Amino acid sequence: MTPFDRPIERTSGRRGRPSRKVVLNLIVIAIMVLWLVPTFGLLFNSFRPAVDVSGSGWWTSLVPPWNFNLDNYRHVLSQNDIGEAFVNSLFITIPSTIIPVAVAAFAAYAFSWMSFRGRDLLFVVIVGLLVIPLQTTFIPLLRLLGPQGIELLGPGVGSFVAIWFAHAGYGLPFAIYLLRNYMGGLPREVFESAAIDGASHVTAFFRLAVPMSVPAIASLAIFQFLFVWNDLLVALIFIGATNAPNLPLTVAVANLSNSLGGEWQFLMAAAFLSMILPLAVFFALQRYFVRGITGGAVKG
Amino acid sequence: MIHLNSRGIPRAVTLLATAALAVAACGGGASPSPSATAAPAETPGPTEAPSAELGGTVTVIGTWGGSEQESFLAMVKPFEDQTGIDVQYTGTRDLNAVLTTGVASGILPDLAGLPGPGQMAEYATAGALKPLDEVLDVATYKAETGAGLVDLGTVDGKIAGVFIKAAVKGLIWYNPKIYTGGQPASWDDLESKGAAAAAAIGGDARPWCTGIESGAASGWAGTDWIEDFVLRAAGPDVYDKWVAGEQKWTSPEIRSAFESFGKVVSESYGGSKNVNATNFGDAGNPLFANPPGCVFLHQASFITDFFQKQGGAKPGDYDFYPFPDINPAYTGAVEGAGDLFGMFNDTPQARALIKYLVTADAQAIWVGRGGALSANKNVTNYPDDVSKRSAEILANAKVFRFDASDLMPAAMNEAFWAGIVAYVQDSSKLDSILADLDTTQSSAYGG
Repeated sequence: MTPFDRPIERTSGRRGRPSRKVVLNLIVIAIMVLWLVPTFGLLFNSFRPAVDVSGSGWWTSLVPPWNFNLDNYRHVLSQNDIGEAFVNSLFITIPSTIIPVAVAAFAAYAFSWMSFRGRDLLFVVIVGLLVIPLQTTFIPLLRLLGPQGIELLGPGVGSFVAIWFAHAGYGLPFAIYLLRNYMGGLPREVFESAAIDGASHVTAFFRLAVPMSVPAIASLAIFQFLFVWNDLLVALIFIGATNAPNLPLTVAVANLSNSLGGEWQFLMAAAFLSMILPLAVFFALQRYFVRGITGGAVKG
Repeated sequence: MIHLNSRGIPRAVTLLATAALAVAACGGGASPSPSATAAPAETPGPTEAPSAELGGTVTVIGTWGGSEQESFLAMVKPFEDQTGIDVQYTGTRDLNAVLTTGVASGILPDLAGLPGPGQMAEYATAGALKPLDEVLDVATYKAETGAGLVDLGTVDGKIAGVFIKAAVKGLIWYNPKIYTGGQPASWDDLESKGAAAAAAIGGDARPWCTGIESGAASGWAGTDWIEDFVLRAAGPDVYDKWVAGEQKWTSPEIRSAFESFGKVVSESYGGSKNVNATNFGDAGNPLFANPPGCVFLHQASFITDFFQKQGGAKPGDYDFYPFPDINPAYTGAVEGAGDLFGMFNDTPQARALIKYLVTADAQAIWVGRGGALSANKNVTNYPDDVSKRSAEILANAKVFRFDASDLMPAAMNEAFWAGIVAYVQDSSKLDSILADLDTTQSSAYGG
């Protein structure tokens, strides 16, 4: 492995750099194109009538005569439950992202910089929870949250709170694992000098650990947001049976096609419409990936 | 250093926290239904006046989406106006998951579509489904509904499920502009007429259009073929034994049904690869292509919707013949399917709604919007000739049988689908496919 690295480094240092960069870029572009082809297919098809889509491939639509129209989008937007479902999705997704990220940040700090008995064991248990498929938890959770338990589920707003808890629980093992690895990698000197200056754990957490972990927290927030935003099953199981007015966008979108799988043409348009918000979130948080602030922390 | 980057972040955290609180607060305010259904009528007393203003809500879950959902909502609209009851409908194709977890945890909708008679019996014996004998006017219901459908909804002598809509399976569709050979008198006649018409078209045209792809349920369109052959060649008794798991898959009756289907596949447009790769909904498209790719398509009455929306066909471009007799002894046998509905929570609102849904007045609304046959014999307002004739087939069936694969246990049904796909792929493996199905049969029926 190391003998492999050296010659490459040397050539790149001397003469190979521009050509190597071109090759690298070409490979990246090729992978990107390959990766995006299905999405482009979906995009073009979302503007075509269903008869055309089932009759010919999407690439045939690129050559004239063009037969694109906005009918599919118009149909999706004219569904009267779509707007409500969008708002419901926000009600579900925003708290379901903030709660686990906040809890996981506290937990990650504790696992990294506080010493208490059973710390490692507890961490191993939490990481172990990662392997539990969430489908197996439905029935016990429904019993706990439903009429046999604390009666959160059912008609009314309770189901929103219930699903926040559910998503927070499903998200936490991974969130703690990710943030603990990041926070644990922060320079020890920072926390030691803070402690010498008299900073408590609370101060160290809010003033040091959180600001330095912003890239990790931002990426975690994106993951969790996307997971909850795209979730169909959990929403359906927790809200679907008794509380149709609270259902999120995914359920409304899935319902655009009929029970035999027909009318699928609207799904393509709906997919792009429901993609808008996650894309906005991604681009809004993207700069935090780039701005890693750990580098300068100790020197400052 | 501590001051360097920290200032913005706590503010951001506070902002987020405030946002969360605001959202929580909005969530609280936005819910329009403050426990309207929370009056779960512990006393199922004699609430026998559905026309009175009841108010409240009834929660319903079903598989219907898209235009079906619109039709269902249109169907319950007069009910809502009349009674003041709010019908909250959730449509999902994952009905099974919701109902399975619901039965186990007690969180169930008031009324629900049921995946099939098998699950209905399970839920009814478990006590989750409430019997409808006291809810419905049983005499009227039995008089208005086909006997086969009433029996299918009955568990241990009690009505557990009712049919709201039905479909006729095994119709032979054709394009009247291409095929003009008249109604085939028998299966052999149909085969020879199809071959002659395909030869007249020439080119790549074949007698049959067949497509069995349907996602995870791929193969079901082929099971309908096998069922039609078994029902018409071997008769309803063999069919019932087969459904009940008492007829071996390797028996000559079932085997010859597979072989007849294999012959159809070999005479299908595009060959066996195309049959497996074509979605059942798109399978009929070559009927309307120019030049046409095939003469006949075997599919249920609901395929007209696909013809129009995906095949680009207009009413008049398609018509059907009933599946011809194979053995004259079993003439007039018809295979059908339908959407079962049951009641999980016995509330006055749920009682009122299910009583309304079985009436001819209610079902006529959906029928009038197209795409459905009514389970109620008194509904006659079919919007076109094709659906009117399919409804007549359903009403006049001498021998009615429900879709066999849907009646089998879930494991058997899925093995059947998979067996069809494997057989279409390689017909020489028939022996091992049938032997595998026998193995599944011996375990799937729970002894």
